[in-house]
Amino acid sequence: MPVRKFRDVSEMEDALWHERGPALFAAIRRVWDFAARTVQPRFPHGVYRHRSVEEMNAQDERWAQANFDAFHVRRVSRSQR
Amino acid sequence: MDYDLTKRVLEALHRHGVAYKVFGAVALNLHGLARATEDLDIFIDPTAENIARLRDALRSVFDDPSIDEITADDLLGEYPAVQYAPPTEGFHLDILTRLGERFDYAGLDAETVDFDGVPVTVVTARTLFEMKKDTVRAKDRGDAEALARRFKLGDS
Repeated sequence: MPVRKFRDVSEMEDALWHERGPALFAAIRRVWDFAARTVQPRFPHGVYRHRSVEEMNAQDERWAQANFDAFHVRRVSRSQR
Repeated sequence: MDYDLTKRVLEALHRHGVAYKVFGAVALNLHGLARATEDLDIFIDPTAENIARLRDALRSVFDDPSIDEITADDLLGEYPAVQYAPPTEGFHLDILTRLGERFDYAGLDAETVDFDGVPVTVVTARTLFEMKKDTVRAKDRGDAEALARRFKLGDS
């Protein structure tokens, strides 16, 4: 990645945004691929029904914690090799 | 999240005529901010016919009998939020027919945008901002602040 210089932090935030088009699609693919390779998230197969969005968010949090724990275990085991 | 799989799901929704509106992090991505996410959030038109089209669309992508468990009885009844996690992918689909008292399908402003060759119906940046700004989750508030700065949005 080339070196990019900014005069102000707000310029850095602006640089994260793209107009819709090939550059945006490439950026999305890059970010999603990196996250998938790094976190390797898994969600138990099935259909989950919720009475409210709060219930659904709670399920998301449980999955996020489980995926973080699995990531942590992988990282520790790699560092002990 | 798998970019190509997400495109396939969105293409299937389009092909099967599902009335839906993308919101959440994928909407933020489609408005210009590439950020990681693990789910595709959609609001769907709350009719039995539309939910049947949704099942058909998902069956065209995933060979999975559990798709039959996504029912109108649930989504139009006691369970307005349903999550579908396909058999093998690191991805899930969040399907909503209403969100509290404030948001429903008909009331969400949306536009159709191009996602790398696939037409996608996505809530507008202002609507996404409105949906995220008062939530309790820190990441949603951060997204709302980013949208406000980018699109010069504020409380209205």
